[in-house]
Amino acid sequence: MISSSGYPSIPLSVYQLKNRQEMSDHETNPAHYYGQAPGENIEDREAKPQPTSRAQAARELYFEAKSSASMEFPYWYTRRWEKLEGEIPVIRRAEALKSGFEHLTPVIYPGELITMGKACYLRGSYPMPWLSEAFFMAAGDQLYKEAQESGKLTADGFTTMGKGGGNVTKSIGNVISIAGKFGLRTEEMPAMIEIAKKWKDRSVDDIGHKYEQLVPGYKEKEALMRSVICMFDSGYTLPQGREVINYYYPLQFGIDGIIKNCEESLAETAGYPDMDRLYFFKAVIIMLEGIKSWIRNYADEARFLASLEQDKNQKTEYLEMAERLDWLSSNPPRSFHDALQLIWIFHVAVLNEDAISGLSPGRVGQVLYPFWQRDIKNGAINREKTLELLELMRIKFTELDCFASMGVVGGVLSGNTFNNLCLGGLQKDGASAANELEMLILQAGITCDTPQPTLSVLYDEKLPEEFLLKGVECTKIGTGYPAWVNNRVAMEFLLDNYGHEGLGHEEARAWSIGGCLETSPGSWMPLELDGEIHWIPGGSAPATSVGVHFLSLPKLLEVALFDGMDMRTGQRVFPSHGYILDSYEGIWQAFKDYFSRACHVLALTNNIQHDAWRKISPSLVNSMLKPDCLAKGKDIGQMGSRYNSTFNIESCGTANLVNSLASLKKNIYTDHLYSLEDYRKAILANFGYKTANESGSYSLVDQVATEDYHNWKKIHRLSLDAPKFGNDHPFVDAIMKEWEAWFCSMAHNYRSLYDQPMYACQISVSTHGPMGAVTLAGADGRLCGTTFSDGSVSAYPGTDRNGPYALFNSATCWNHATSQNSQLNMKIHPSVVKGREGARKFLELIRAYLRKGGFHVQFNIVDSRMLRQAQAEPEKYRSLLVRVAGFTQYWVELGKQIQDEVIARTEYEEI
Amino acid sequence: MELSCKDCRYFLPVDVFRGICKINKEKISPDDAFCEKVEKISKCKFCQYYTSESNSLGKCMGHTLCYPDLVAAKCADFKWEIQK
Repeated sequence: MISSSGYPSIPLSVYQLKNRQEMSDHETNPAHYYGQAPGENIEDREAKPQPTSRAQAARELYFEAKSSASMEFPYWYTRRWEKLEGEIPVIRRAEALKSGFEHLTPVIYPGELITMGKACYLRGSYPMPWLSEAFFMAAGDQLYKEAQESGKLTADGFTTMGKGGGNVTKSIGNVISIAGKFGLRTEEMPAMIEIAKKWKDRSVDDIGHKYEQLVPGYKEKEALMRSVICMFDSGYTLPQGREVINYYYPLQFGIDGIIKNCEESLAETAGYPDMDRLYFFKAVIIMLEGIKSWIRNYADEARFLASLEQDKNQKTEYLEMAERLDWLSSNPPRSFHDALQLIWIFHVAVLNEDAISGLSPGRVGQVLYPFWQRDIKNGAINREKTLELLELMRIKFTELDCFASMGVVGGVLSGNTFNNLCLGGLQKDGASAANELEMLILQAGITCDTPQPTLSVLYDEKLPEEFLLKGVECTKIGTGYPAWVNNRVAMEFLLDNYGHEGLGHEEARAWSIGGCLETSPGSWMPLELDGEIHWIPGGSAPATSVGVHFLSLPKLLEVALFDGMDMRTGQRVFPSHGYILDSYEGIWQAFKDYFSRACHVLALTNNIQHDAWRKISPSLVNSMLKPDCLAKGKDIGQMGSRYNSTFNIESCGTANLVNSLASLKKNIYTDHLYSLEDYRKAILANFGYKTANESGSYSLVDQVATEDYHNWKKIHRLSLDAPKFGNDHPFVDAIMKEWEAWFCSMAHNYRSLYDQPMYACQISVSTHGPMGAVTLAGADGRLCGTTFSDGSVSAYPGTDRNGPYALFNSATCWNHATSQNSQLNMKIHPSVVKGREGARKFLELIRAYLRKGGFHVQFNIVDSRMLRQAQAEPEKYRSLLVRVAGFTQYWVELGKQIQDEVIARTEYEEI
Repeated sequence: MELSCKDCRYFLPVDVFRGICKINKEKISPDDAFCEKVEKISKCKFCQYYTSESNSLGKCMGHTLCYPDLVAAKCADFKWEIQK
């Protein structure tokens, strides 16, 4: 069939939704396949080796544990803060952090070789009312009401949390459920409310809100939040993260070494101009004293446990742990085990200073390689012991939780914390950076498959085949990691966007992924060990993904089609755009106008919130770690970091936008089959189907027709059959290309708090669930309330029907180096990549995409029918992992909006 | 005052629902009754500077907000209550 646009239209009749009564038996399995249909039996993933018994026991304990919140840290933080009224703000902050750290109750679990955690539970976390106090207040409380009125909590109402795993989804007995995820003991609830009230009108949220209202057009921002065109404010929800930590200073100098350095700097700055440096150095010293006490408290607890222990080996391990912690509370590490423990301590310490998602450990295998190499050479460690430690490291990272509202923790994060560990890439001199320790990190990812840390291979043609095949071995067993990321594309992006700050080719090679997929600049740090210098990479910028987050492209198009109205709520979002919309160009222009208006007001209000954050709650732990804060005497909020062009505009629902524009262009303005008014009516009627909420299904499968269905059948069919992105179809790919060229360019028009140009960021994380939930049907045939396509170059589930190489051609129709990222998700049946031959085929597929200029690709290797079974019987699939959009998560901890979308993705039976 | 495992120094909390006894390593509930091996952990409710205002809130030294189940093992001012 050839359409009037001159290109073959893609018949989606198999995909066409049906009234269930009309479906044949064959059609009742609504998964979408490319290639031969799978056999009768559900195909399991390839068998994989098991972790060590110690790691297995730790993981079992994790599986039993629920996400739990504690008031310890916020209590002591707030108590100290109140006492220091009138003190220099950064000193006050340091004293509060110190008090929090030194009062944390130490908890050491049986068999641990790496210890310490955020709070006094295995999956512990805590509220940070100094950032935002409103969201966890009981419904009905005045604070909660105020937050709802300003639209801050609207997204919470459209988020589905995972019902299984470690989520405390409802209050039971002496435990109260918060945000559908965190359990809090009832005896701590009154204290939580009282402490939260102490921060009213003083938190980053409240102060930011007070001043953001001074931005002209502020009311438009509230309307954007209420309509969920914008998902959340980063300034008080997740002010840090989506960045790469830098472990260099503790590894090189130890805590006492850093304190000594700061004390020397105090003497050099006291009384001299730019006195903020003095306060910063003093604040770092105070904060580090708190961290020292925290570590020593754990050492004391290890000794206490040793005193109770009857088992000789366990007793010895507790005593060794105590000795190690005592040593590290002052000194740099002596061994690989020491170094691993120390980087874990500082990772947790950063997470304890702010609500953070996506604090990536970065290229840990390269950072720790000098220590490991020395230990191997000296016989202090062997590969088996290393593997066990790396497995235990995976468990510790998986224990991390981030306490946030349901809209953030469920709607954005899906309960994930995005600690991305990167492998490969290049060394300072341009040689391959892959090493043997990274091979073991991959092996630990295979033997001990857990969501954290997720892994990413920084793919470069210089990486050895053996290393790449190890990565493929890990991906193909169904872990969802490593993701495959293009080293050269990332370097090009960094040179273009950070070059004006002095970043050159050599430093560009030190980059890593921050969070799920944010390209983040790094630096080479000279680690001196036994007189030899090893250049290790680490992050050198603050959060690289704060700014305008996230913008729902399909919802913005919907509002443009209805002249500024949100037809779901009946509220006006924007003034009338004034276009007649009698041409495709008119629609495109109206959409661009609204998108630009949204960026303008959100960029300004977000800058104010981040300004409130840096003044009220400045970063100290993370700042101390980041070059060049200690050299400049400035925290990251004062641009102490080496690179600061870190704000972005983040989008969601790209394929739905592009497909909808293609459908409107074809069916209204090219083929003249319908008018725009016809489309408006069809959208309002949801093409004769029940909404996702009514049907209980959030993808296009399993939808339920109403009696009206036949009135809209034809327009819906033509909408579904209009060209779809992901099929190498020039008609629709041209629209994608035009959108990307415009978006990636216009993003530079907005200035960050640090007066740097912003850039495009294109990952959906989990926002495509709740954002889809509030969006009416689309001209692409998508139904009201269903989840959008994930990422930015993934096809809409089930619509990529011309094979993987057609998908690659569509995805690379624009230059990915003009954006901080792009994201491509694929689902492949396990039978396709089985065995050695399957692995080689799989690697060639990955290479083919990256050689075309694709930035990122990731895979679910799974039989879709297994996912459906897991949805029906979650208790049997506690350990099942899936890849969502830049992260791997336990299936049972995902909300249904995202589960349905993952099931509906096209499953490739051939590659 | 009714005491339970969560008030014991040998209680290792795993989550808000359960923990592990550091002595016998069995899984226990924080709300289980005290056993014969009990040793109270320093909590505000056991401190002589604590005054109760309600079941779940109180004051430290008569002026600072605190709550009875707050662990005070690392509080410099903690002093065991005088047994009456």
